[in-house]
Amino acid sequence: MVDFEDYRENWASMSRTEQGTTVGLVLIGVFLVVALLSGALAPAYLAFLVGLGAMYALLSLGLNAQWGFTGLINFSVAAFFGIGAYGTALMTADSSPIAGGFNPLVGLVIALVLTAILAILIGVPTLRLRADYLAIASLGLAEVVRLIALNERQWTNGSAGVRGVPTFFEGWPVLETLPSTLPSVRVAVVPGSPIVLEAPFYGAFLDLVVVAVFLAVSYWVLRRVHRSPWGRVLRTIRSDEDLAEALGKNTYSYKMQSFVFGSLIMALAGVFAAHLTRFVAPGTLDPITTFYVWVAVMLGGSGSNRGALLGGFVIVAIREGSRFVNDVGALPVDPASLRLLVIGILIIVVMRFRPQGLLPPQKELIWPGTVDETPTTIDRGVRDARVGDTDE
Amino acid sequence: MAALDFLATPLLDYLANGLVLSSIIVLGGIGLSLVYSIAGFANFAHGDTMTVGAYTAFVAFGAIGAVGSGVLGLPIGFFVALVIGVAVAALVAVITEYVIYKPLDTDRIGLLITSIGVAFVYRAIIRMEFGADFRRYDIQAMRPIEALLPYEVRITPHDIAIVGTAVLLVGGLHVLLQYTDLGRKMRAMADNPDLARVSGIRTERITLWTWIIGAGLAGAGGVFLGLYNQLSPRMGFSLLLLIFAAVILGGIGSVYGAMLGGLLIGMTNQFMPALPNLGQLFPLVPESFGIPIGIQYANAVAFIIMVLVLLVRPTGIAGEVS
Repeated sequence: MVDFEDYRENWASMSRTEQGTTVGLVLIGVFLVVALLSGALAPAYLAFLVGLGAMYALLSLGLNAQWGFTGLINFSVAAFFGIGAYGTALMTADSSPIAGGFNPLVGLVIALVLTAILAILIGVPTLRLRADYLAIASLGLAEVVRLIALNERQWTNGSAGVRGVPTFFEGWPVLETLPSTLPSVRVAVVPGSPIVLEAPFYGAFLDLVVVAVFLAVSYWVLRRVHRSPWGRVLRTIRSDEDLAEALGKNTYSYKMQSFVFGSLIMALAGVFAAHLTRFVAPGTLDPITTFYVWVAVMLGGSGSNRGALLGGFVIVAIREGSRFVNDVGALPVDPASLRLLVIGILIIVVMRFRPQGLLPPQKELIWPGTVDETPTTIDRGVRDARVGDTDE
Repeated sequence: MAALDFLATPLLDYLANGLVLSSIIVLGGIGLSLVYSIAGFANFAHGDTMTVGAYTAFVAFGAIGAVGSGVLGLPIGFFVALVIGVAVAALVAVITEYVIYKPLDTDRIGLLITSIGVAFVYRAIIRMEFGADFRRYDIQAMRPIEALLPYEVRITPHDIAIVGTAVLLVGGLHVLLQYTDLGRKMRAMADNPDLARVSGIRTERITLWTWIIGAGLAGAGGVFLGLYNQLSPRMGFSLLLLIFAAVILGGIGSVYGAMLGGLLIGMTNQFMPALPNLGQLFPLVPESFGIPIGIQYANAVAFIIMVLVLLVRPTGIAGEVS
């Protein structure tokens, strides 16, 4: 029962919205488990959905490192996502007009290098600009990247896209063939609709492992970095750039570091997406992705890493939910329009009623060690001293 | 005869078509610049306000019908639909200002982000109603004017109607800004809102008029964009970045800068085919000289011009150096 007490204490230390979010997440989790056990939801599809959610979470984490930490209005998220996807696809795919056939790990490295170069190219002219100009300029440059991907056929195959991207584990010992060698398992929880675990599920599960590793590493690094002296400078720049300059910080250099750093995380999402869908086309660079990710970060809470995680999964819920509503026939509206409407209303509602987002950064910013000695029950605000450890 | 040879190149055609595109960009750009200078933020919903105008005119024209033969290949009914499109675009913008922007307690960045949400809502509603497919006004497409063909200029009477109406509207705005009370107050407020308020100007009313004029002109631009190309839910948003490029080039916040910037960006866009063979088209340029960029990069060139302007002279051409 000790554990139970711990949970109680934890629960009491949460803010209202945190409690609400937790309840919501638990309910969704229960719903998914029930749907899975009753056979209504194929396990492979669930794994795919979770992978997609993790992908958006990665993008959101990357944007959060730029906007949430440093206050950079980056509207070229889609460009970094796209170059990550193109980078690995062009190195690994059969139909690649450039190289092709390399191990996906090579693709990953090349994608990251390309992204860093692109981030510097976009950052050099734009990061000196005032915030609203940065927004417009970065959106324009992202469009330039999209036009290049669309028109330079000799490099990118143009609008036909790059087909035949292998899975991430192609060329690895054991893992490459694992999905097809594992035995097929049938579990019938509800009689008549068994859950079948076979090759597609194992494949999707391996994909999930890839993105989970990307996500875990990024999240861990970001959490460390957010509280580090470096992160403190970034947060100072966000709240008052002149102050940071007055303290002797080269803000341009810090902004550039933050920009490149965030872009690399976005590129990880792109690399994953390329190996997940096995296909990359200029549509990957559609600016709508940028705005999805913005919604995710703002809804989660600008500057909050766990908020970005949450936001990423909410986006997938909106994406798949709009499709589901259409399939069921509840609303005679095409899913793309519905999605656009929901995203638009979400932006307005968040800005109007909760501009700080659902999970704004509070205790995220406190080093666990610094508050260990404080009493365990504090007024709302700083709250439980050790929560930093259990922060999910 | 050398002069006539020069005329026979496609340059005149580019110039004429550049004027048409410029007119549309200018109509959009003025509103964007006005709202920036008076409401204080970069309005990402401005492109979709154009779309609202276009689709309203589409519906209105469908309901009214042609009514008479009209001028320049455009029936009277179309001009009535144009007025309705302008009015509805202005009305939608005013409602948005009162329902959404005004209650917000946020800075210019918050307003910018909110305006993206507004843009999506406009576009989503239009898409739900009309689908994502392209539409056209029910007007017979015109052949290029015969008399201009010997000069290799291919423009239709519709194009002339677009340029003519745009010139009328812009001229009207100029008169309004320079010679009316409202115009003086608007300029005062754009200059210094606080000073305007303590001088006894009712700034709220001026903000309202700014939205009406800006969105109305955007509505007109949208109607013409639909006539020039075709209608689609994305039409306004796709043009928005070009309009931003024009407004920034001219100096954001300056109405006359927006006109100049719109003209330059529209021209750049239409002169793209000339870039690879500059040498053959222009005298005094070495014969083999050219910039090898295809027309598919027309927008990209505009965006890069925009970024360069932001870097070198962020106040734009017409803006004063602060």
